[in-house]
Amino acid sequence: MAACKRVQQWNTFGRVWHLYDATWQNPFQSAQKIVKYLKGLHKPIYHPLNDCGDHVVVINSKDIALPGDEWRQRVYFHHTGYPGGATWTLAWQLHDKDPTMILKKAIYTAMDGNLQRRYTMQRLHIYPDDNIPEKIKQNITNQIRPLRPVPKRLDHYAPEEVEQFPKVMDWPKDYILR
Amino acid sequence: MFGALRIWQRCVSRSVSLCVPRMNLHLSCTKMLKEIRETQEGNVRVFEGVNVPSPREPYVVKTEDPRGCCTICSLGLDVKHTDVLILSQYLRSDGCMLPRRITGLCRKQQKRISYMVAMAQKAGLMPNIGPPGSKKDPKRRFKWKKFNTYFDESTIRDLKSIVEVRKKRAAELE
Repeated sequence: MAACKRVQQWNTFGRVWHLYDATWQNPFQSAQKIVKYLKGLHKPIYHPLNDCGDHVVVINSKDIALPGDEWRQRVYFHHTGYPGGATWTLAWQLHDKDPTMILKKAIYTAMDGNLQRRYTMQRLHIYPDDNIPEKIKQNITNQIRPLRPVPKRLDHYAPEEVEQFPKVMDWPKDYILR
Repeated sequence: MFGALRIWQRCVSRSVSLCVPRMNLHLSCTKMLKEIRETQEGNVRVFEGVNVPSPREPYVVKTEDPRGCCTICSLGLDVKHTDVLILSQYLRSDGCMLPRRITGLCRKQQKRISYMVAMAQKAGLMPNIGPPGSKKDPKRRFKWKKFNTYFDESTIRDLKSIVEVRKKRAAELE
């Protein structure tokens, strides 16, 4: 095999490590996107019997965002198998206990339930903040684009920027400022 | 019926634009606001109302709309609940929404903006504008409130009715 062909072979079948920043991202919409990278669906050589999935490193999973009142409405069910062993945990309670669990479960349920699922999940690395082990950090070569922009808080703008932003309203002249 | 409603709206918005000097109609020389100042001199505490020039005066966007719409309608702004630089202009320093006679908005926009102000406050995007006892850091809030939340503007009920009316009108034209 010629040298360039050999390099092409390595590049085609080598595992790529992707980084995903989950700050202010919906975990359930992100899961649909991350699963594609984990399974290798984004590659032209994809086949279910072809082991071509990539690694995905998710950081800042404690800063995920849920829409509306879903922190209170979403419920995680667990049954120990014994009578009276059913528990219902709200999303915010689960996130309090383990800030990676909601994202992990979202990605797990976004995949088909086949024998490959457990092995595909082994290629997923979730971290609650941006402290990644150095061994994992040095593998990362790509970043997955976030789904929604991260909103900026008003107190994080510079005071001049807030003051000089174009104003759509001015107070009437007899208004008492407070 | 819609025509009559529109004419009525036009009249109302015109009368508003005449009494509020935001539509480039200045009868006074400069915009002066009042500020209440409190000074303590020995046993005497003095409260006085002082006229101050408006700090927003040089940055106000000029709108020239012949129909006399409110500023957001005539500029055609699509405001989201994350646009805190716009939403904070309609607030008092304690985080309350200003009434319509001061904001000069039309009924629908006033409703829409006040909904979005509530969304931004729940999402913790304007923590520095709030009542004195409020928690400044949204991460230290109670139970589920400490986690990041975002909202969908299409859930504002008044907007849906606007879309329905537009669809009906389009169906009538076809």
